[in-house]
Amino acid sequence: MVATAATSTFFPVISSPDSSGSKTKKLGNGSINLGGIPSKPSSSGRLQVKANAQAPPKINGTNVVTAPVEVSKNEDGVNSPPPRTVINQLPDWSMLLAAITTVFLAAEKQWTTLDWKPKRPDMLIDPFGIGRIVQDGLAFRQNFSIRSYEIGADRTASIETVMNHLQETALNHVRSAGMLGDGFGSTPEMFKKNLIWVVTRMQVEVDRYPTWGDVVQVDTWVSASGKNCMRRDWVIRDSKTGEILTRASSIWVMMNKVTRRLSKIPEEVRGEIEPYFMNSEPVVAEDSRKLVKLDDSSAKYVRKGLTPRWSDLDVNQHVNNVKYIGWILESAPLPILESHELSSVTLEYRRECGRDSVLQSLTAVSDHGAGNSMNLGEMECQHLLRLEDGSEVLRGRTRWRAKKPESSGDVAQIPPESA
Amino acid sequence: MLKFSSCNVLQCRFSGSNSPLSFGRCSPRIVSTSRLSMTPVQAVLSYHQQGGSTGSGSLADRLRWGGLTEDGLSYKEKFIIRCYEVGINKTATIVTIANFLQELGGNHAQSVGFSTDGFGTTPTMRKLHIIWVTARMHIEVYKYPAWSDMIEIETWCQNEGRIGTRRDWILKDVATGEVIGRATSKWVMMNKDTRQLQKVSDDVKEEYLVFCPREPRLAFPEKNSKSLKKIAKLVDPVQYSRLGLKPRRADIDMNQHVNNVTYIGWVLESIPEEIIHTHELQAITLDYRRECQQDDVVDSLTSPELVEATETVSVLQGTNGFATVATREDQPDCHQFLHLLRFSGDGQEINRGRTEWRKKPTR
Repeated sequence: MVATAATSTFFPVISSPDSSGSKTKKLGNGSINLGGIPSKPSSSGRLQVKANAQAPPKINGTNVVTAPVEVSKNEDGVNSPPPRTVINQLPDWSMLLAAITTVFLAAEKQWTTLDWKPKRPDMLIDPFGIGRIVQDGLAFRQNFSIRSYEIGADRTASIETVMNHLQETALNHVRSAGMLGDGFGSTPEMFKKNLIWVVTRMQVEVDRYPTWGDVVQVDTWVSASGKNCMRRDWVIRDSKTGEILTRASSIWVMMNKVTRRLSKIPEEVRGEIEPYFMNSEPVVAEDSRKLVKLDDSSAKYVRKGLTPRWSDLDVNQHVNNVKYIGWILESAPLPILESHELSSVTLEYRRECGRDSVLQSLTAVSDHGAGNSMNLGEMECQHLLRLEDGSEVLRGRTRWRAKKPESSGDVAQIPPESA
Repeated sequence: MLKFSSCNVLQCRFSGSNSPLSFGRCSPRIVSTSRLSMTPVQAVLSYHQQGGSTGSGSLADRLRWGGLTEDGLSYKEKFIIRCYEVGINKTATIVTIANFLQELGGNHAQSVGFSTDGFGTTPTMRKLHIIWVTARMHIEVYKYPAWSDMIEIETWCQNEGRIGTRRDWILKDVATGEVIGRATSKWVMMNKDTRQLQKVSDDVKEEYLVFCPREPRLAFPEKNSKSLKKIAKLVDPVQYSRLGLKPRRADIDMNQHVNNVTYIGWVLESIPEEIIHTHELQAITLDYRRECQQDDVVDSLTSPELVEATETVSVLQGTNGFATVATREDQPDCHQFLHLLRFSGDGQEINRGRTEWRKKPTR
């Protein structure tokens, strides 16, 4: 495994929005409503995190996100006899926050016991649209409506839009489940040991792309993967019909952010995260075929001089992972893009890049009859993203199926490469 | 008014009956076009109506938390800032905000029954192959929202002169109610096939004016608002540049040209890095001149704007010295720049712009 793996933004690499500076600011400005559900749900979302940062999560039927219920909301700064050390460690204003959390969670608890049902106006249960924990606390669900600027030239949501939604729900899951120890998506124990999560592999299979105005429901959860990796899965459904639109799976490893070396999962961290593991089967069958490394001779399509724009960068000034898929498609042959749609993509992240990186995108079209069962009209491509000095940023494989007949054009015939 | 009965805009008639249930199952997007003022109760109900099985419109509308206001003359929608919409400042980027404004324009048009395909065209326009194109865009942001903040944006449109229409926006932070930004834009009509500009014909005017406020309502009511300021064209030599910018596939919108918002990103590319790291964008004005297609290559040019009493061209000639970036006397930490985007090949102007930057607030 390459030592410098791409820093993830699927798990938040952004500095924590829960940093004490911003939280104080929120308290100052926000209208904290002790009487009921806070009018600013986002701040209560943050409150949940801090209050539960050390709390051992419960599973088996109860909401994982438990507030320290010993706190009475009428006491200001006075500690009720706290069995948990978490209360003693938090500054005084945490009493206020914990009280609000209790109120919000009590309300949310009613919502989370409801299971998804077809044709149910799910939206009524999640009026703020920030998503909620479901399934005994192990999964997270959030709805998105597809906005007009998320649509591609063919009037359907782009693959980047789909992946942005995956990223947002992963982040919100981590935050609302109390796993957000610091900005790198590390739990408190990880933070102490300078460990961060890094995504190494991503697989997405799209059965149908939503269009403008559609509402999709994204569910996400984590599981163990081998001894030292974590897997995060997603399922995207049509909110109205329940039809599955997309399934995705990603693999994460632990890396020391100082030494940049990969690390085993320490026991303390295991204790923190294992309760969150759903340990279900992967939603996407693993595509175990090796991803080949392309070079100038094997890649027929090359696009050079790709540079990040300011809006591609996250708060750590690294290029957001999702941008890579856009760059991969920059060198995909236009006839394929016009007549086909992306049905699946497999990515291996190798290296992160920043503002000054200049990238090259290489694509080769695979031979159709490469032994795997592909339907007529399906195409497969191999991809490479690299820096100008040749170091790899990303390897990928995409599969394409012919678009439905309503769009114009015949299926383009691209002569397959010899690999 | 009789004209409206033939168009698909009119589907529910407000009969004036007292029972709100009398309009049966209507799509919440369709609103009466009667010039008689709608009773607020009925107008609100048309938005909240469950709609049931009439398609994803109702659920999507509720999820968008957007809808026409009670008088039907403007449209409001709430947005929560998502993690990938946040940039290096830990706040929403100007590109994100510009996307919201554009989204809202489209949603407003759709909610009054225009073009369900997202183009915002009226039925007459579609018949004549006419589309809207942006001529000018001016955005001011006073406070950038952060990840998971909720903002509410209100938009409305009005007539502007003989060939244009204006769309205005006001952005508010939902938690505090304070205005965090304002924007205004001018639009003209263009023939989709010939790419020539067209005057707004009376048929089209009638179709959409009913949804516009009767009295002029301006997001920037103040005199000498920056939104009206003429922008000078930069000439060589310019101070900063970023050459060879190319549209990505994702930059091409449903009108098959580079999306408006992409130009904002390109303008930012030639701002000096030290400004990007220490300042935040306070205001941006763009005049759109030509459209850009997938295969074009673009140069982005920037020079500081000298603050003079007159409105003459502000250009740094020769080598005045890099350190003397112009600042306003009353706001010592603010910077203003003039911008030009042009085709790399023939140097023709694509658009020109002006930006103002203020020091980042400490967080």
